[in-house]
Amino acid sequence: MAGIKTIIGLSFVLAIGFLLVILSAALFKNYLTLLVVATYVIAPLPNWICGRAANPDDFMESSGSGVVDFGRFLTGFFVVMGIALPALLYHSATIQAGAAVMSVVGGLLIYGTIISFTLFFQEDQDF
Amino acid sequence: MSSHRLFRFPKPAWLNSANTRTAGVYAAGALFSLGFFLLIDVASWSRSPMNPSDPAVHVTFVDWIPGICSALGMLVINSIDKSRLSADSFSYSGNGVAWKARLVLFLGFALLAGGLAGSVVVLVLKYIVAEYVWPTIWMGVGNVIANGLVMLSSAVLWVAQNMEDEYTYNLAL
Repeated sequence: MAGIKTIIGLSFVLAIGFLLVILSAALFKNYLTLLVVATYVIAPLPNWICGRAANPDDFMESSGSGVVDFGRFLTGFFVVMGIALPALLYHSATIQAGAAVMSVVGGLLIYGTIISFTLFFQEDQDF
Repeated sequence: MSSHRLFRFPKPAWLNSANTRTAGVYAAGALFSLGFFLLIDVASWSRSPMNPSDPAVHVTFVDWIPGICSALGMLVINSIDKSRLSADSFSYSGNGVAWKARLVLFLGFALLAGGLAGSVVVLVLKYIVAEYVWPTIWMGVGNVIANGLVMLSSAVLWVAQNMEDEYTYNLAL
């Protein structure tokens, strides 16, 4: 079960992720890589919003799952966007290779923290 | 149910679970994102200093048309309710709902296939016939890959949604 160690570990990982992304922006004097943080922060939002908008227990109503599927589609879109955006910026010579790698790794750490946080603490809200 | 099987190998059981369906929808979003950002990559690369073409070759609106067609086709296909395709077999839903659904679906698939074919046309007519070499030809090749990815994403989403129908059906019985 989620204890104090989990919270400490997750916050460490989150801090390292933010450190990597901010370093990738500040070391190279090019702040475009900060977009990765925004991408990963809004990535779980469509899932939550559409999960609230639809009633997943209603199996006979087929219109409900369309909204949920749209939210999942958008989440998948944003997760890949967090990796694709630095690669795109590197490919068009806007940022350097080091900045691209650091922002991708940092973004993955941030997103992993968000996901594992919701996984660990979801049981408290469910009944 | 199993006596109606046509093939020797049964459909694996994991193909019908709700988790596979969820993973399919996520994968469709990821594939669409890859295709979309490949298009953006081609466009931004064309205006960047990485583009070495000497008489400058840039992406014009012509390169965008196949991608727009593919995305529109995907939108049309996946906004159709799949259960309406066989609606005419039920007597209470008349007025040719299935016929209309098939027509719209045909338009969607035509847009999708037209997008892929159009990207190949752009690649051949704009880049191969003009005999450009590798770094320049990326603008055509990336376009084809992007449209293929959008088509693949559409197929994955279609399969995932059909899976959902069967899953719901099994649950309802």
